[in-house]
Amino acid sequence: MMSPKVIIVSSDSEKFPVEQKIAEKSILIKNMINDLNPDGLTEDFEIPTPNVRANVLSKVLEWCEHHKNTVFQDDEDEDAKKSVPVEEWDRNFLKVDQEMLYEIILAANYLNIKPLLDSGCKMVAEMIKSKSPEELRKTFNIVNDFSPEEEAAIRKENEWAEDR
Amino acid sequence: MNLQNNCESDENSINATNNFNDLINATTTKNSPHPSIKEESIPKDEEFIQNTEINELEPVSNEDVSVVTPFLVKHISDQNLIPRDNFHKYCYRHNPEITCNKSTDEYKMKIIQQKLEQLPNRDQEAISHVWSIFSAAPVHHRQLILQGILTQCCFPQLSYISQEVSQLIKIDFITTLPQELSLKILCYLDCKSLCNAAQVSRKWKSLADDDRVWHHMCEQHIDRKCPNCGWGLPLMHMKRAREMITEDEKDTDSQPPPKKIKTEVPKKEIKKRPWKSVYSERYQIEKRWRNGSYEIKTFIGHSDGVTCLKFNRKYLMTGSYDTTIKIWKIDTGECIRTLTGHTKGVRSLVFDQQKLITGGLDSTIKVWNYHTGHCIATYRGHDDAVVSVDFSNKSIVSGSADHTVRVWHVDSRTCYTLRGHTDWVNCVKIFNNLIFSASDDTTIRMWDLSNNQCLKIFGGIETNGHIGQVQSVIPFTYKEELIEDNSDEEDMTEKLVLPTVTTNGYPTHLLTSSLDNTIKLWDVSTGKCIRTQFGHIEGVWSIAADTFRIISGAHDNLIKVWDLQNGKCLHTFGNYSSVSCVELSDSRFVAGLESGDVKMYCFE
Repeated sequence: MMSPKVIIVSSDSEKFPVEQKIAEKSILIKNMINDLNPDGLTEDFEIPTPNVRANVLSKVLEWCEHHKNTVFQDDEDEDAKKSVPVEEWDRNFLKVDQEMLYEIILAANYLNIKPLLDSGCKMVAEMIKSKSPEELRKTFNIVNDFSPEEEAAIRKENEWAEDR
Repeated sequence: MNLQNNCESDENSINATNNFNDLINATTTKNSPHPSIKEESIPKDEEFIQNTEINELEPVSNEDVSVVTPFLVKHISDQNLIPRDNFHKYCYRHNPEITCNKSTDEYKMKIIQQKLEQLPNRDQEAISHVWSIFSAAPVHHRQLILQGILTQCCFPQLSYISQEVSQLIKIDFITTLPQELSLKILCYLDCKSLCNAAQVSRKWKSLADDDRVWHHMCEQHIDRKCPNCGWGLPLMHMKRAREMITEDEKDTDSQPPPKKIKTEVPKKEIKKRPWKSVYSERYQIEKRWRNGSYEIKTFIGHSDGVTCLKFNRKYLMTGSYDTTIKIWKIDTGECIRTLTGHTKGVRSLVFDQQKLITGGLDSTIKVWNYHTGHCIATYRGHDDAVVSVDFSNKSIVSGSADHTVRVWHVDSRTCYTLRGHTDWVNCVKIFNNLIFSASDDTTIRMWDLSNNQCLKIFGGIETNGHIGQVQSVIPFTYKEELIEDNSDEEDMTEKLVLPTVTTNGYPTHLLTSSLDNTIKLWDVSTGKCIRTQFGHIEGVWSIAADTFRIISGAHDNLIKVWDLQNGKCLHTFGNYSSVSCVELSDSRFVAGLESGDVKMYCFE
């Protein structure tokens, strides 16, 4: 007999049937399944994710599928994690436009998929790294709302970090 | 009539689409005799009728209009049917709360407007119909329209789209993500990037300067070498003060909810420094250490060579062959006290808040109250010069030219003699319940303070030990990886067993200096020398070390600064006299010279 599937429903009502193991990469879904089925899944189980659009959800599930056998270190050692660069597969997976990256981060946060959230945030951090303030405004389309005087003062305030 | 932008939202983002609607309206208005077509409110039924009439009056082909208008009518009213409580989000572009990305849109609108106006009226109208249909269309329709347009595009047009789109999809992550995620992202950055981020906009500044981010930065770098960037920052006393403050806060915060009721004793107003400034201060000191930019203070007064010194934030104490100990006030540079009592040269000193302990060539150990200048005790027992002293709690340890180490238990007035070295004992150090002694016999011994047993001997050719007299030893514990010399005979598997087993209370490593011109790093658990630092061309009299650096002073008149982690020499400072002793703090080091002068190098 086929093992029962978890059917994740996107905000735009698209249904994604996936293996339980894959769905449970999301701690939110894992907890929902366990709370509502204390004796384990006996039949297909539908879970709505009203915050996640179908194209984002399919992307997130692609990640879960790829990592279904990956064991993520559950350590709370932020330092150890911080020093690890984004894994090659994740890096390519997250080479998407800013809108998609933005929604993947929000979805990973909502669905509680920590390793994906970490990778997403690291990708954004990499976009910020070693850029001048002007380059940052350009990259993210930000309006400089400082007055010239303020800007000069803030530049001075941050001068100490210039060239090591 | 104001066209509604059927973004994913049911709540129409009037603000966001106004520009575009104005543009469309501008063209329709021109063609239409009825200015009333501009209508801000959501259309009611009569207006639709009116709208249809207008279109019928126009001298345009009726088939077109009969398609366009009902479409608009249907979908605009459809949108009204979506219940208000049906929650959907705005997309990033049409969210009325996001203002920053609209300015480029405005600019584009102007250009589009200009281009449009160059066209004949009929074309203007046709184009504006296309836009208005798209504007009013619900999501699925929009997608369909786009798909249709895309399939018709020539490659140059597709290329144009891809270029434009990459310019358009720009999201201010830091401003729009939930704050905890923005802070998480910022925590992945280095300090330079954070300082650049703080200059982007007001919102960015408030997040990039956030205390939580900089606290994280401090944790990452202060008193340890960051594995990411290789930088470590000095601990410094302010950090401890600040930590105590935050711990106090934590305590009050962790109290159960009725914390709102302000019955607590009003907290004393402690000046809280932002973590960014704590970080920046240390960073600038570390930068000066790295660049080798410093100022020198010279303390002149001894009439013979300086043999030993120690300092804290306030005082510098120096001992000399001229038989005296001088106490200097560091900030003014003045000698505030000269202690006399030893009958021969002073060779070693240690002090804490209350007392000073010295060892001299006259074979005695003296304990002083340095605040009054009185000698409060003299210990006799060694048969020859006392070359080194150290203390911990109520125990004094001394190393002597009589080849022995003595342990003096002050309270029980007992003294033990540790025998084993076969030559002068030049340096003794207490580490927890252990004593380390370095000797002219080229070895270092590790003793158990509680039972006076010798636990280990470091030295000999087989462990790559010193070949000259060992002048100083520093036991320490280092948690991260230290760079070792590559040994040819040892295979890689040996190297990978790095996190050495540490016996409780033992240090992980020793640093030693010798008259064989080298500084050596030892693994305490294996007893082997794992790194030898070459560079001095004459004997190394003295070394000092902290979490980041080793300072060495040698007979070649040189002072060298080494990176503790990788053993590389960072700086070399020349002098006019042999360097007999060095000491180190977070932002300074001091060297005592054979000439009698003392030099302090300040990096703050």
